[in-house]
Amino acid sequence: MSGPSSTSHLYRLGIVLVAFFVAAVLVGWWAVPSSWNFDVDHWYRKDALIDNAQKPMVYGGNESCKDCHEPAMKKLAKFKHRALSCESCHGPVADHVRGNKKFAAAKVDKSRWQCENCHQEQINRPKDFPQFSKTGDIGKFVKKHNLLEKKTLCLECHNAHDPTN
Amino acid sequence: MMPIPSPIEADTDSRREFLRNILAGTATATVLMVFGPGAMALSDPTRRTKNKAKHQFAYVININNCIGCGNCVRACNKENNVPASVFRTWVERYVVTDEGVYVESPNGGLKGFEAVNKKLRQNFKKSFTVPKMCNHCEDPPCVQVCPVGATFKTEEGFVLVDHAHCLGCAYCVQACPYAARYIDPIKHVSDKCDWCYHRVKNGKLPACVTVCPNKARLFGDLKDPESEVTKIFKEDQWMVLKPHMHTDPTCFYIGLPREVV
Ligand code: HEC
Ligand code: HEC
Ligand code: HEC
Repeated sequence: MSGPSSTSHLYRLGIVLVAFFVAAVLVGWWAVPSSWNFDVDHWYRKDALIDNAQKPMVYGGNESCKDCHEPAMKKLAKFKHRALSCESCHGPVADHVRGNKKFAAAKVDKSRWQCENCHQEQINRPKDFPQFSKTGDIGKFVKKHNLLEKKTLCLECHNAHDPTN
Repeated sequence: MMPIPSPIEADTDSRREFLRNILAGTATATVLMVFGPGAMALSDPTRRTKNKAKHQFAYVININNCIGCGNCVRACNKENNVPASVFRTWVERYVVTDEGVYVESPNGGLKGFEAVNKKLRQNFKKSFTVPKMCNHCEDPPCVQVCPVGATFKTEEGFVLVDHAHCLGCAYCVQACPYAARYIDPIKHVSDKCDWCYHRVKNGKLPACVTVCPNKARLFGDLKDPESEVTKIFKEDQWMVLKPHMHTDPTCFYIGLPREVV
């Protein structure tokens, strides 16, 4: 019997499959990053963890002020504002200290906004949070403040660190 | 030759079988719906500690303590160099009245909130502020849709973005039910809150938690019995955003009012 053998199409199919497999392996080798994590639940490039951790820190937390401002911090620990972050008023430590040395002043906003940002009376604030009120509906410090002019700075009477004083 | 079955006999048999299958299927589906993975979505967060990783981080937001000052948003923007038009975390103010619920977030709450007008002030039923951010889901839709594996869940609970690998296709931005993701307008890759991974790896708290004046934001390791989040879960008072999405968030809310979406 002449003509193509009854199995030749299978060989052809086999060659195509092998070529396909080789191509897939090559593409995979080229496209999959080298440090790939082959865990189905955590499917990622392991070096990305290192990349993500590289970013420089800007905020240091209150413990970062301790080395240089120990006396101020010791005093502050007794005041009503003890739970506050120094950096929320003075700006991040990275703008003030570099390589264990002060390189720029720690700025502080002495305007009314600084205090009103937390203490201006607002309907959305928790009721038990001390709030300064101009109208006198809610808020703890009503009586004395009703007489104040708009321009008066909070810091004329209050100490920012020891506010009840 | 196979015997041809009597048509009548075969018919009753398969009909009975059909009904039996329907019954069994319904029963199984009911059981699965009640006790299946969906029902697990709100189970005890401490079950997360049952894996091999050294830490298992969780985030807690206490609505009762939030004063809406915006320190968290300001700190986040500085810490992560967030471009001006987008936010990794933001604060929403809800004012609930008889006519409806007003929700606003002026500039993400960056500078706190203005006092509401007189009409609202006299008519409101309740008002509160809700900090929002990436929920670091156990079952994150953003990870499922990423075509190249550039966003992923680490063993310790962070959902991170691999900026070098990201194509910027924004599938993940659309997939997130919490609108926590954005395409960085400068780098043209996807980005979002990463719980300050770089800080946590250096033993610090995320920037937003660091500056929060009233302990409205807590962060900690569920595997550490002394951490603040572990203690929270001893009392069963927490809630998550959009539980019906079955994303199983690792960002828990305390005192979450029902109006919050
Ligand atoms: C509520 C905002 C606020 C917080 C929180 C705060 N400060 Fe201050 N701080 C101020 C203001 C306002 C001044 C300027 C006082 C003045 O000039 O009258 C100041 C002044 C200072 C000074 C200058 C010297 C002095 O004592 O007058 C130091 C140092 C200082 N703060 C350190 C700290 C440290 C450390 C912390 C954290 C433990 C902290 N501050 C927290 C608002 C704050
Ligand atoms: C490497 C040491 C160092 C660290 C850390 C440090 N400071 Fe200072 N700081 C200084 C020095 C030095 C001065 C200037 C001398 C002075 O007035 O005591 C200063 C001054 C200040 C002042 C007064 C205004 C000024 O700049 O002269 C403030 C406010 C202040 N620091 C806040 C902070 C806060 C908040 C932190 C923590 C986030 C901090 N500092 C961390 C060294 C440090
Ligand atoms: C970042 C938020 C924040 C800022 C900014 C802030 N405070 Fe406070 N303040 C607090 C918190 C929190 C408390 C403690 C509340 C408590 O004890 O429950 C507090 C307490 C007080 C109290 C005592 C209230 C009482 O319990 O009787 C006074 C007074 C006060 N602050 C004044 C000020 C002044 C003045 C400023 C501006 C320099 C200021 N605060 C800025 C958060 C802030």
